[in-house]
Amino acid sequence: MHEQIKQRLEQIVNNIGQLPSIPDVAGKVITMVNDPDASFSRIAEEISKDQAITTNVLKLCNSAYFSRGKEISSVERATVTLGIKEVKDIVFVAATKSILDKQIMGYDLAKGELWKHGLAVAVLSKHIAMIKKKSEIADIAFTGSIIHDVGKTVLALYVQSAFKEIVSLVDSKQITFQSAEREIMGFDHQEIGEKILTKWNFPQILRDIVRFHHEPENAPNESKLLVSIVHIANTICLMGGIGVGSDGLYHQISEEAIKTIGLKDQELENLYSNLPDTINNASAIQ
Amino acid sequence: MQTLINVGVAQMQTAANPTVLRTILGSCIGICIYDRVKKTGGMAHILLPNGSGSEKPEKYADTAIPLLINNLIKAGCKKENLSAKISGGASMFKFNPNISLAQIGEKNIEMTIKLLEENHIPIMAADVGGNAGRVIDFYLEDGRLKVRAGGKEKMYYKI
Ligand SMILES: [Fe+2]
Ligand SMILES: [Fe+2]
Repeated sequence: MHEQIKQRLEQIVNNIGQLPSIPDVAGKVITMVNDPDASFSRIAEEISKDQAITTNVLKLCNSAYFSRGKEISSVERATVTLGIKEVKDIVFVAATKSILDKQIMGYDLAKGELWKHGLAVAVLSKHIAMIKKKSEIADIAFTGSIIHDVGKTVLALYVQSAFKEIVSLVDSKQITFQSAEREIMGFDHQEIGEKILTKWNFPQILRDIVRFHHEPENAPNESKLLVSIVHIANTICLMGGIGVGSDGLYHQISEEAIKTIGLKDQELENLYSNLPDTINNASAIQ
Repeated sequence: MQTLINVGVAQMQTAANPTVLRTILGSCIGICIYDRVKKTGGMAHILLPNGSGSEKPEKYADTAIPLLINNLIKAGCKKENLSAKISGGASMFKFNPNISLAQIGEKNIEMTIKLLEENHIPIMAADVGGNAGRVIDFYLEDGRLKVRAGGKEKMYYKI
């Protein structure tokens, strides 16, 4: 255990001012999507209040990944054409980019790699939800995937100074990198991520995805399926080298996650084999 | 000036001195072949050991290797001057051995070595296996390969 780092991290999580912020509109839209009383026009109005987000949202609505062919020129039009869940995902991409699209030193991720990793995991998670006939949760799988590693943005600095200790603990105790993060620094990137989402007032399901994406077997029952989907999508992207950093593949593939989703061996291999399509789809989000 | 070219998953690239070819690897293999006389080389980033034959040949070791050799010969390389370096093929740290996907890294390594041997391309360095992700840079000025993994760098010079 590295006492100094642990104390510093305790300070950070207890003083949420030091955790990253997100434009208000993201939290509002997430709440409104779950509110049966919120109309399309109210949601569109809320988004339109943030000019910078609106510009990006419209651009994303017309990107090859989200577009339905017809040019979309207003947020209101987007909610009608794409549906509010899709628009919520798009707002999310626009609102989180500045937090995630940077160099992540301690994890050895060059600028853009963590962002592209999140997008690829999101595209793959959504795909898994669709092929497993769970389209009603595909949007949550997508949003949760975008931010599943957000904790790395805060932890990176400390991982950098404790890197040797973490690696030697992985080696001597044969535990995963993220378990070693927790043992050495008192927190792993999942727990820090959960604190960030708590600061943002995000719903429990998204907090669970962030908190348990490397240990889906420990997720509460009501979120186990979504956590498992993101876990598998994350694993496959890492195996494909997408967003793999200094923590490498020092993680587990959870058998319980495979069973929870009901993925057959062949389906799992196909997801990996189709990574070039996943990457193409992810790079069409811009 | 060295130009840097990123080689993506299931892609292949050939180029001449002074280009640097880079890729990032998990369970995939970066196959780097170099002509020491012509100072020209190529990199294939393969995802799987073998496919059905009808698909994208760059994706599989068994089809990508002959294609890469062919592309180099078309670019004026001589087969007898070619040598290879390979990297990648990592596996997840913990998994139940009955999950066949988890064996992909090992299978990729086996198939890559087998195909290079069958095509009589000597392997000068193999930085493969284990659980680390790798960023590799293949320098076409002299055929050296830099492998960055787990915060450390290694250089392989032999061509
Ligand atoms: Fe993670
Ligand atoms: Fe991840």
